[in-house]
Amino acid sequence: MKILRDHAILGAVAVFLIAFPFLIALLDGQSIGAMLAGQSGNSKFYQGLLIEIFILAIFAISYDLLFGITGLLSFGHAMFFSVGAYTAGIALKSLKLPLPETLVLVVFAGVAQALLFSIVLPRVKGITFALVTLGFASVFHIVIMSHELNDWAGGDVGLQNIPKPALLDPANQRLTFYFVALALMLLVYLFYRRFVDSPTGRVCSAIRENEHRAQMLGFNTFYFKLAALIVSGITAALGGALHALYQPIVSPTSASLGYTVNALLIILIGGVGTLSGALVGAAAFRLLQFYLDKLFGESSSFILGVVYVALVLFLPYGIIGTWRAKKLEWRAAWQARWRAWSAARPRGK
Amino acid sequence: MDNNVILESERLRKEFGALVAVNDVSIKIRRNTIHSIIGPNGAGKTTFFNLLTNNVEPTAGRVIYKGRDITRLPLHRIAHLGIGRSFQITNIFPNLTVLENVRLACQSLGKHNFRLFNHYQHFRGDEERAGQVLRQVGLTERALTPARTLPHGDQRKLELGMILAPDPEMLLLDEPTAGMAAEVVPEMIDLIRQIHQTSHKTVLLVEHNMGLVMSISDCITVMHQGAVLAEGTPSEIAANKTVQSAYLGGLGWRVVDSGQ
Ligand SMILES: Nc1ncnc2c1ncn2[C@@H]1O[C@H](COP(=O)(O)OP(=O)(O)OP(=O)(O)O)[C@@H](O)[C@H]1O
Ligand SMILES: [Mg+2]
Repeated sequence: MKILRDHAILGAVAVFLIAFPFLIALLDGQSIGAMLAGQSGNSKFYQGLLIEIFILAIFAISYDLLFGITGLLSFGHAMFFSVGAYTAGIALKSLKLPLPETLVLVVFAGVAQALLFSIVLPRVKGITFALVTLGFASVFHIVIMSHELNDWAGGDVGLQNIPKPALLDPANQRLTFYFVALALMLLVYLFYRRFVDSPTGRVCSAIRENEHRAQMLGFNTFYFKLAALIVSGITAALGGALHALYQPIVSPTSASLGYTVNALLIILIGGVGTLSGALVGAAAFRLLQFYLDKLFGESSSFILGVVYVALVLFLPYGIIGTWRAKKLEWRAAWQARWRAWSAARPRGK
Repeated sequence: MDNNVILESERLRKEFGALVAVNDVSIKIRRNTIHSIIGPNGAGKTTFFNLLTNNVEPTAGRVIYKGRDITRLPLHRIAHLGIGRSFQITNIFPNLTVLENVRLACQSLGKHNFRLFNHYQHFRGDEERAGQVLRQVGLTERALTPARTLPHGDQRKLELGMILAPDPEMLLLDEPTAGMAAEVVPEMIDLIRQIHQTSHKTVLLVEHNMGLVMSISDCITVMHQGAVLAEGTPSEIAANKTVQSAYLGGLGWRVVDSGQ
């Protein structure tokens, strides 16, 4: 019953997002034909904004798996994303690989980073792990900007002129790109749902709750954290690859602490450890950024900060977390009212 | 090797700086017995337990389980040997449901820990076993509540259930009644006795409740300032002059422990 309802909401959201480009075109008075042909207009513009949201959501959900589910606090998560983006960009541009091979390479890059992070897992915990991962990401950030790699990575400007596969060119095949990004996000989400309900994922939650107890029950917690890191690493790297395909430039700031903090903010807004919170949070985060920018220009980042603080204060469990808690309360209140009403009703004939 | 001995410590020692918390303790725990360790606060009982299960690394000495040296075995291997350990401070998964706490304990020794694409409920055996255990410890009604919302006494029972779930041969219980309300202590005692009698498990028990210790134990070891002061059957210990003088001489026994 609960599963049905969960999927009903997901289904409704998916249907809405599929219909969305068409709805905007209709509202805008643009003909569907023109919209499908990729002519510019509101529909194309909002498709772009949503693509950015989908990519952010993929990045954030991979962070939620590490932090929200497994309890691993990483300050270097942006590196997972950035390495995916640079790998895809360099493979397409310098190595001239076709897209499928590029994606295989990206997946390998994701696994390799997870293995790198896992080296320190047995030795450091909590905030120390966060700082070590920040160290890894900072090294990557510096290396990728270095002069020596200029020809490959484009120095501190970033990687430009990545050849886009004809079928996925965001300039004139934006609708296709939109559906690909949407499909990838939904697939990742469904896979993550399954993962957290798998025996492996349940142990990851147990590790977040009390790693020592998990060990004493007989779980070699290292392997479970490694599994979470690998799944998260692959996902974030794929998100990065999508970013490289979509954006005109892959900037080295994508490996910065600020980028990791974005993922953290998104899941705080959406609800830590809820998975769907990453999707809702990514939308809230990007839309807030966009509209506040539009309304306030320069001072928008200050207002954005205030809004984040307010959100965390008033929705301490994030949008999804608070909603889940309230839902139970509301249901209880409803049931109480129902009972009171049926008790007050005269019994018998 | 004495086949009757399941767990043995050989001159086990732990120093914290200048403090010798466990001072060359050698004891033998015989199969299918309830063996209790008693002693005043700070005697080193918990530290001794921690040495046995490698939660604390010993300064010197060895731990032998069924003839095998397990002194520096990684924590997660302990359960696989058939040893279940409860802690003086309740050690559970607070935000998971009571059922999930026990189900995870059932899952731990199974072969499907790395099945990423199956729903955990696909593995029926774990949940059925967890249901049995919850019945055994009397928590069936609370199965779907988060563990942290249980009253303290029920949390103690839950932890006991978690270590019983994989059906270990040996239980190490560190003050299972600690902090329990006086009126529920007998339930816990009955539970331990019943577990011992029905499934012939070896139990090593640290307990302050003298009434419980005297009635339940086959053998008692008295610790004092990190060392073994005396060892024997309950009646021998009750008659032992050193223990009596230690007891009466005000070494700080918590005599009959109820609320604390
Ligand atoms: N990690 C530690 N570092 C330093 N000293 C410690 C540590 N753990 C225990 N001790 C000290 O070792 C001694 C033995 O402590 P332990 O907890 O083993 O006693 P206990 O017999 O279990 O007492 P209680 O009845 O209060 O549980 C105490 O003096 C304690 O302060
Ligand atoms: Mg103790």
